[in-house]
Amino acid sequence: MTELGDQGVQILAISPDPNEKSQELAQKLRARYRFLTDQDLAVTRRYGLLHARGGHKGQDVARPATVVLDRHGTVRWLQLADSIQIRPDPTDVARAVRELPQ
Amino acid sequence: MIRYWPALMSVLLSVAAIAGYMALLRVPAIRNHPALYLAAFAVAAIIAGAATWRAARWPNFVALGLSVALLILGGYFNFVLAKIPPASTVLRAGEPAPDFTLPDASGAPVSLASFRERTPVVLVFYRGYW
Repeated sequence: MTELGDQGVQILAISPDPNEKSQELAQKLRARYRFLTDQDLAVTRRYGLLHARGGHKGQDVARPATVVLDRHGTVRWLQLADSIQIRPDPTDVARAVRELPQ
Repeated sequence: MIRYWPALMSVLLSVAAIAGYMALLRVPAIRNHPALYLAAFAVAAIIAGAATWRAARWPNFVALGLSVALLILGGYFNFVLAKIPPASTVLRAGEPAPDFTLPDASGAPVSLASFRERTPVVLVFYRGYW
């Protein structure tokens, strides 16, 4: 999804990962991602994207989800995974971004 | 040995399905269709089953046992373990996303509202790595 960054789109990746983990990942991906730490999953819960006890040690995690917002902050596209194996297809996300009303 | 080629083919198919899935995890079309490896295990089980039915010998039983075990384990993982219960997300297309402020990787606060009227935003929620 790195090509999205070049289209002037802000990508915010949200997980309960602590800051140092996010920093590691950000450096590894070298992308225009900003990794945000939702440590107590408050935002994830508010968004209704909590997967309770879904972690491999039975801890709460976020359900994999991708949300495209237009520049007014309105939801235009969203994809929720119903399986932990599923990840968003960058092609679909890029298309959703391209189809945003200008 | 040559008479066991269906058993060998069955085992190779199972191994190739696992290796292929692992090797191509970064390809969305493979990663997002885990039913592909289940289909491969099922075909492997059918081949081994037919071979066992024709000749009840140990290589055929081994191939049958392996492919059926993989089919059951893979099916259990795919249809039970990996499933996420239905969400009651508040997000609806056409409605505003609730605002939030969260720290970024360096600890600086980032608020969703700060991008309003400036740029589109893609939010990616992920499970985390710990």
